[in-house]
Amino acid sequence: MQEHVQLDQKEINKDLLDTIFHTPMWWYLAVTFFGVVFLIGASAFGYLLNQGLGVTGLNRPVFWGAYVVNFVFWIGISHAGIMISAILRLTQAEWRRPITRAAEVLTVFALTAALMAAPLVHTGRPWRAFLPTPWILPYDFARGIWPNIRSPFVWDPMAISTYLVASSLFIFIALLPDLAIIRDRSTGLRRVIYSFLCLGWRGTPRQWKLQIVAGILLSALVLPVFVSVHSIVSWDFAVQIGTEGWHSTIFAPYFIIGAIHSGVAAVATLMAVMVWVWKLHKYITPDHFDAIGRLLIVVGLTWFFFFFLEWVFALYTLEDPEIAMRKLQVFQWPWSGMFAVFLITSFIIPVTAWLFRAVRRSLLWMFITTILVNVGMWLERFLIIVPGLMRRTHLVFDWGSYQPSIIELLMVIATFAWLCLGMLVFSKIFPLVPLFDIKEAMINREKIKIGRKEIPASIRE
Amino acid sequence: MDRNVSDVVAIDRNVSDVAFKNVNNTLVEASNQTNLKWPLIIFAILSLLGFVGFSIKVFVEGVGSQQWGYHAALVAFLLSSIQSAPMVAIAPRVAKAHWRRSTSRIAEIFGLLGIVNLLLFIPLMWILPSLADGRRSLWFYDALEGVSPYSPHIWAILAIVVLAFLGVFYLWLSLLPDFAILRDHSKVGTVRKKIFKFLSGRWWGSSSNWYMHKHRLGIVGAHYFMLLVFVHFLYSMDFCMSLVPGWIDALFPITHAANALQAGVAVFIVTMYIIYRFGGYREYIGLDQFWALSRLLFALSLLWFWFWFSSFIILWYGGKPSERFVLELLMAGPYIYVFIPVFILNFAGPLLIMMWNAVRKSILGPTIVSIGVLIGTMLDRVRLYVGAYSVSTEPDKYALHSVPNTIWPQFSSDVLLWIGSISAVILLYLMVAKLIPLVNIAEQKELLLYKLHKEFHRTKVMVLGKPE
Amino acid sequence: MSDNSVKTSGKRKWSMAVDIDKCTGCQACVVACQSENNIPINTEDLFKQRRAIQWIRIERYWEGEFPNAKVRFIPLLCQHCDNAPCEPVCPVYATYHNQEGLNVQVYNRCIGSRLCVNNCPYHIRFFNFWEPSWTDSLKNQLNPDVTVRSRGIMEKCTFCIQRIRRTTRESDKNNQQLKDGDRRLNPACVNACPTDALVFGDLNYVDLDTGEKSKVAKLKEESLSKNGRGYKLMGELGTEPNVTYLKKVDADSGHSSHGGDSSHG
Repeated sequence: MQEHVQLDQKEINKDLLDTIFHTPMWWYLAVTFFGVVFLIGASAFGYLLNQGLGVTGLNRPVFWGAYVVNFVFWIGISHAGIMISAILRLTQAEWRRPITRAAEVLTVFALTAALMAAPLVHTGRPWRAFLPTPWILPYDFARGIWPNIRSPFVWDPMAISTYLVASSLFIFIALLPDLAIIRDRSTGLRRVIYSFLCLGWRGTPRQWKLQIVAGILLSALVLPVFVSVHSIVSWDFAVQIGTEGWHSTIFAPYFIIGAIHSGVAAVATLMAVMVWVWKLHKYITPDHFDAIGRLLIVVGLTWFFFFFLEWVFALYTLEDPEIAMRKLQVFQWPWSGMFAVFLITSFIIPVTAWLFRAVRRSLLWMFITTILVNVGMWLERFLIIVPGLMRRTHLVFDWGSYQPSIIELLMVIATFAWLCLGMLVFSKIFPLVPLFDIKEAMINREKIKIGRKEIPASIRE
Repeated sequence: MDRNVSDVVAIDRNVSDVAFKNVNNTLVEASNQTNLKWPLIIFAILSLLGFVGFSIKVFVEGVGSQQWGYHAALVAFLLSSIQSAPMVAIAPRVAKAHWRRSTSRIAEIFGLLGIVNLLLFIPLMWILPSLADGRRSLWFYDALEGVSPYSPHIWAILAIVVLAFLGVFYLWLSLLPDFAILRDHSKVGTVRKKIFKFLSGRWWGSSSNWYMHKHRLGIVGAHYFMLLVFVHFLYSMDFCMSLVPGWIDALFPITHAANALQAGVAVFIVTMYIIYRFGGYREYIGLDQFWALSRLLFALSLLWFWFWFSSFIILWYGGKPSERFVLELLMAGPYIYVFIPVFILNFAGPLLIMMWNAVRKSILGPTIVSIGVLIGTMLDRVRLYVGAYSVSTEPDKYALHSVPNTIWPQFSSDVLLWIGSISAVILLYLMVAKLIPLVNIAEQKELLLYKLHKEFHRTKVMVLGKPE
Repeated sequence: MSDNSVKTSGKRKWSMAVDIDKCTGCQACVVACQSENNIPINTEDLFKQRRAIQWIRIERYWEGEFPNAKVRFIPLLCQHCDNAPCEPVCPVYATYHNQEGLNVQVYNRCIGSRLCVNNCPYHIRFFNFWEPSWTDSLKNQLNPDVTVRSRGIMEKCTFCIQRIRRTTRESDKNNQQLKDGDRRLNPACVNACPTDALVFGDLNYVDLDTGEKSKVAKLKEESLSKNGRGYKLMGELGTEPNVTYLKKVDADSGHSSHGGDSSHG
């Protein structure tokens, strides 16, 4: 079943460094396109800063809308990198090798997109929230006014900034050997820059050892951060008693597993794009799609169980506001339509499709199903946040609704453009597939003959 | 080039060089030789105490629900420990981890012991209040439409019966090739031969036999896992949470199940240690099994904290009176003396002890932590179930209005019942261990096929096959 | 210091009682609040956007079908909860509990994260979506004692803290005891109420001459006793509001109820 493409090191270097040394026309076109989309979003932000949050669709009582949905969505996507890199590295799943770096880069850009999506544009007074220092730092030191450590909005920046630093370090450490290869193959200014970036990597046994130890240590240390980030994001909602459907103990694990669901799906989408755009079919084979498809089945089913429990216990409360909110989600247009789309796209179609080997091994199908998952997961966050805030409480006087304005939508789209832009620029400067990891896999690869059958094997110890 | 220094998938280091042909002989002999006369007698006597305790409970104390909290806790504890132990065979088998080969049998036998729990579960059917008295429930109940107020009872008993039998079935499935070996190694005409012939079905080791075998194991294992989680969901809901008005914790079934996996690994490690130490399987069970499992135990201990904290922070931060009372009942009030040891034994202790590489990579370290985890889980179940049963007469279905007092165990009934039931479990295990080999012979032989030593530049390396 | 303690009756704790039976839904309180507290003009457009700001609002509920319909009013204002859900969630301490039992909002600190309003079960905090503006003719009516809030921050009922401060400061200075029900102390809404449905005062007040308790303390005590009409809005949440509501009495049925009561059932 597994195809074994044995490649020599020269070929690997040539294939994977191609994007850095040659720039095709489509790259410029794509960068321009996403750049323009991003700039449109940025100008929408300028307009918002000038006019105030009135230009959004937010109102009483729906005080949080598309920005917060988008924030949670991007934090969710950012769980891809660590799931793929750290967990699969610690469990030594061989198939992770060609996609680790792309997944980590996805993490970092998704995190920056998340930071753009909420704290910056979402607050009423961004200038007060970020100037002179971000709100998390004690900004009025002299008068002894400290940030309120009890607030989830103080836990949030702590967790997210730690995660951002840790995952950037993670990428950087894994990049070192590859940067050295680029340094050796470039001249002039480029050589100077890469020599600086690779921190004098010579490939001595001691350096390798340190790099490996750092990688494993970071994998282990980043895991608690990985868990804490989305738990804390979920507690932004779950600690509140004022909003229906949010005050549930299951939120932290439910958000984490949802994040892994959408994050791993995003990695699979990215894998398909990588094969098509950067022609990496020698490195990312149907086997890899097969493996990630299996992982996705497990993650998807687990996610669904949490979703089921969340619903069961919402109804178990027997509280009128809670049940009114659930009725709104399921039976009232347009939420009912969104709910149906969410359930079909994030679970029913993809998980059923992944059960078939042919789907798991097809790039196109994996691309389509994983895109569907993320459409569904965006809607899921929307359906948690907005109908909850529509306040189906006993105070019926204050019931409301929400519709995102064009400004909000432009800024949401801009975060997607930002991610694409980031990935494109990164691929121009650094190799998207870790060269040394692939080479190591080639060396470790072995075969064992049992009777007439040859079984793939790998070297241990 | 030693990037793959096996820090994760461990392969028997001190074991394994048993020659291929010898595997059969050594293992079959080992299963014949063990002398368990005295332990069997002792545990048989202790099990009888359980009957005494149960009788005292029924005939002297009566069937009021408050006295039965310890019984419900016992069932929950056995569900959490012995019935989740088979997961230590199922999960690594699905993940194709090689270290499980010599120890998966030890875990599977626990599937059979689920029967004891099934028997203990029966009296609870009379204890659990029906839905007619107005308690909250997940289940449908409509007096007018004639929907039974006993639907929780029906669902729970269905799931628990199926789980117990699935456990037995899984054990039998994995034993098939070994039964065939035992059949071939017994003398013609003896009773033993006949029994093994019957038990081994029509196994003759054809490739279609093996193909079916592997698929069946995978499917039955996956179902066992799903059903296990479902049983935890039902049991923790209907026999615990729904008895306390105002206790709404959507994570609780998952906490319950995750805690059970932790206890399952712990009970497995303790059993493995006993077999390693006294059972004469030192050639097969080694550091690698302990090492792999200690990592798992460590991870599950951290998970315990995460789940507990996720629930705690929501209830504590929310701070509604109903939530405050629940927290006081379970953590800060009448059961605080139980909760603190639980916290130490299930999380703080394992964290502080197992964070050291040297301890994780030892045999005694994980065993000691496991004993702690087992005691912790036992206390945890007591805290939850006795706490829940102490308020089951509360009439209001929305909130707890006062925190009931601590209920202490009765030595004459509760303690005897606990001792008796746990002894019965051990007794049954010993009896099974006398009949079947404690190491999966077929899997052990398969490992030898997949393993190869090879020269690599200047060192010697091990090459390991990864079928599929 | 010792002199002061003679004149005041211990630590102050401000509280309000709202008798729904007396409320006619005339909205005088709303208008009074609007002009006292520099609340931006709520135009028709703002109401359509659902972004109007009303520190006190009259919620109107109908009970029953048309010919036999009954109208219920419930004046809703910040409940100044002792266990306020909005307080712990603010990242910058813009909202906190002061020593006199008031839930206060510090406009300068607020960054507008809107976490507090999501966690307020009474939905009684307001966000300035737009920069507030007044026509030139109205600019001179702005109350100089009250900050004009810019866009992007939360605001809410303060129990007219500027009036409380001014009056308590004056009486402390003159070494006199504050009188219960002093119109200079009462919030604008209380003064404006034509039926005295709103009662405001200090719960710990004891008249030094007569030894009598304040009106609000007596109302609270009586109404929350066994057969009283009093209740706390959404009391089951345990927010411990400082506003006590008194149920409506229905003349025809002798049985009392009203629309805003949110006990389960």
